Amino acid sequence: MSDAETDPAIRRRRVEAVRAGTGRAGRAAFKLRFLAVLILFVAVFVFFALTQQRFFTSGNIDALLTSGSILWMVALGLTFVMLTGGFDLSLGSLLALSGIAMGVFMTQWGIPVGWAMAMTVAFGVLVGGLGNGVLIGKVGLPFLVVTLGTLTLYGGLVNLWSQEVTTQVPSATLTALAFNNALGVPISVWVMVGVWLVALYVQRSTYFGRDVYAVGGSADAAQLSGVRVSRTLIAVYAIAGGLAGVAGVLQVARIGASSPQVGGTVIFDAAAAVLLGGTSFSGGIGGVGGTAIGVLFLATLQNGLSVSGVADYWQQIVSGGILIVVVTLDRVQRGGLAGVRIRRTRPGSPRPSETAPSANPPPD
Amino acid sequence: MTSAPTLHAAGIHKSYGGVRALRGVDLELKPGEIHGLLGENGSGKSTLLKILAGQLAPDRGRLMLEGSEVRFADASRAMAAGIATVTQETTLVRELSVAENIFLGPRKARRPWGIDWRRTRAEAVELLERLGLDIDPATAAGRLRPDQQQMVEIARALSIVARVVILDEPTSSLPDDQVASLFEAVRSLRAHGVAVVFVSHRMSEIFDLVDRVTILRDGLVVGGGAIAEFDRARLIHLMIGRELEELDIPERPARQTAGAGLRLRSFNVPGRVRDVDLAVEPGEIVGLAGLVGSGRSSLLDGIFGLERGASGIVEIDGRTARIRDPLSAIRAGLGYVPADRKTRGLVLDMSVQANLLMAQSCRRVRLRRPRRAAEERTVADAVRRFRIVSDSAAAPVARLSGGNQQKVVLAKWLATEPRMLLLDEPTRGVDVGAKAEIYRTLAAIKDSGVGVLVSSSETPELLLLCDRILVMYRGRIVAELSRADATESRIMHYGMGHE
Repeated sequence: MSDAETDPAIRRRRVEAVRAGTGRAGRAAFKLRFLAVLILFVAVFVFFALTQQRFFTSGNIDALLTSGSILWMVALGLTFVMLTGGFDLSLGSLLALSGIAMGVFMTQWGIPVGWAMAMTVAFGVLVGGLGNGVLIGKVGLPFLVVTLGTLTLYGGLVNLWSQEVTTQVPSATLTALAFNNALGVPISVWVMVGVWLVALYVQRSTYFGRDVYAVGGSADAAQLSGVRVSRTLIAVYAIAGGLAGVAGVLQVARIGASSPQVGGTVIFDAAAAVLLGGTSFSGGIGGVGGTAIGVLFLATLQNGLSVSGVADYWQQIVSGGILIVVVTLDRVQRGGLAGVRIRRTRPGSPRPSETAPSANPPPD
Repeated sequence: MTSAPTLHAAGIHKSYGGVRALRGVDLELKPGEIHGLLGENGSGKSTLLKILAGQLAPDRGRLMLEGSEVRFADASRAMAAGIATVTQETTLVRELSVAENIFLGPRKARRPWGIDWRRTRAEAVELLERLGLDIDPATAAGRLRPDQQQMVEIARALSIVARVVILDEPTSSLPDDQVASLFEAVRSLRAHGVAVVFVSHRMSEIFDLVDRVTILRDGLVVGGGAIAEFDRARLIHLMIGRELEELDIPERPARQTAGAGLRLRSFNVPGRVRDVDLAVEPGEIVGLAGLVGSGRSSLLDGIFGLERGASGIVEIDGRTARIRDPLSAIRAGLGYVPADRKTRGLVLDMSVQANLLMAQSCRRVRLRRPRRAAEERTVADAVRRFRIVSDSAAAPVARLSGGNQQKVVLAKWLATEPRMLLLDEPTRGVDVGAKAEIYRTLAAIKDSGVGVLVSSSETPELLLLCDRILVMYRGRIVAELSRADATESRIMHYGMGHE
């Protein structure tokens, strides 16, 4: 009680907290970056719509969305991993490996396309969960080392399994998945929306979703509260693997073949999209809502620039620059440029959000 | 004490946004004095210390260092001017040697072709001797005891020819015997004419060590002077602006329920805890005393399933509990408030609500949807019952004061309806007012029939709370003292390993 009366800061903090809404902590900071990117997205979209006649046409918007579908899946999966404070470098390789598996299921084993799609996704879940998941969650190896290893390993398996040859996978269903519309919207966009809604539900409305945030915030505290940290970690790498599997299916559908030469740099674009969407590298803050905006922003930028006839390398320069600017602005907003000022840091403990925003008095 | 002040802060004002943290504070530090700075959380104490150390600039007011006005652009300027800060969290680089740590930064003795290691080492030895410390400067800092690490920090402060040393709660994680050796070092600073600012939440330390005090409340100086003019009650009154009710926790009546509660038989944690047998009855508070490293924390970790290789029999309410991990411990009816609240007790980024519900929901199926209405009721009850002062249940728990954070941890466990609570340093880094509230909460927990096993470095706390006190030494329980028999000197005696 004495705190409330003696601490004049309480009143101010109360106002801030009400503004922060009823969600998780750190959400205020997350929302800021999210809003910045949302505004950027709208601005870029409107800019291209006004300046490029060929941009805001239903054909081009469909192309914009469907070409982003693979990035979309990988970025959604990566969001869960990054929320736990981890990272998965191997998702691009796993995407390619899933595609090869899909080709083998259909052309060599003669499995019907529906079953082959389900098996490919299950394959991604298994490889992600039993490979990265078990090594990181159960054995306790560092995620960068493990996923760097599996990145290379899966890349090798792709070449071994495919004999470095692209195999045609003829299927009307797959062609429809990639290029047909249902109710006026491309089928792959329906898939994107469906997967996103499920991810949003899992993240926001299940105990598992809370576990993911708790593990990312402090794995020790989560474990002490009875959260099964190993299982949670295995699950997020399995989810990321499964969505890489989905991405693999979409990839096969789009090119009509299973190719060993896909998935190359998708993980870097995915990381950029997740970060733009407000999820932090240190875990515990962010979510798939922001990631959707991040992917749409990148896809719009790439599409718009190429419609404008700007060279590829300019797209890379612009999207890389924007990523750095947005993350820097976010950091300035939250607590000043911590690295520039001399500040005593405690070993191990501080996360960016622990150092109070500069407008707040430091706790005595 | 006729000399001019070493450091004089005059009329310091500081606001954050619209909040006025300091409203015209004066502080005079004389050479060769230990100056106690007292105040509750939110009194402006930390803000003042940061201004003295150059980490913050005042909005108004002046800093006079030995008679001339100074303005520090940042902390390194203040340090160069001879103002050093030592906080409870050490900033030593664990892998480097003591000598390297002392001269970390641009202060190493140099030669044109590099660092003069021999001179660096000789200077380190000299500094350590000045403080009367028996530490080998070649030891890696990470291998020192916590109190030795603090003292290396003080040596580092001295190495910059310190005129003012700010000690911000240096003792909060030290056990009694190490506090004594730290105090020796502080007194030798005083003997060298250094002005020392000392901050502690422990009243006994203030009376032991300091010469003068200044008391802050709501950003104003509300009292000060020679320590001899004050007594405990008056200091507390000035700090919190009212009387603190004395708390009397009734002793638990003789045991009625044989076999109930927690029982350990020949419990071992390899290398840490040896052959511990103990029993805690429902509604009983049992204390664990002993030096840091005596195995108290490992024992609690072990009971809660956090130590690999722990062996022995754990019975709860007469049934053997198979505890492999925290989850099975919670299922068996245990709750655990760890010493390190910020990384183990709470997820700081998450809301008060999420933290409160975290342990309670561990039994649910993970893909289920939480029942929001029931959860909000649980949270509202806990906030009311524990008087948690927070803007809203959705606020990040990081924004709460230490005392309120600790109440959240306690409430989190009580929401699981445990049979037995394990507590490690339950009032570490918590101010006087909040401490009393935590004690009151523990008394209520005891009343409700939950057993409590509490480990603490603060002996007075154990004497106040416990029905019985077990003293540990090198992993064993070496003495059991009833409330009537327990005294501070006895606990110290057994804790040091004497028969």
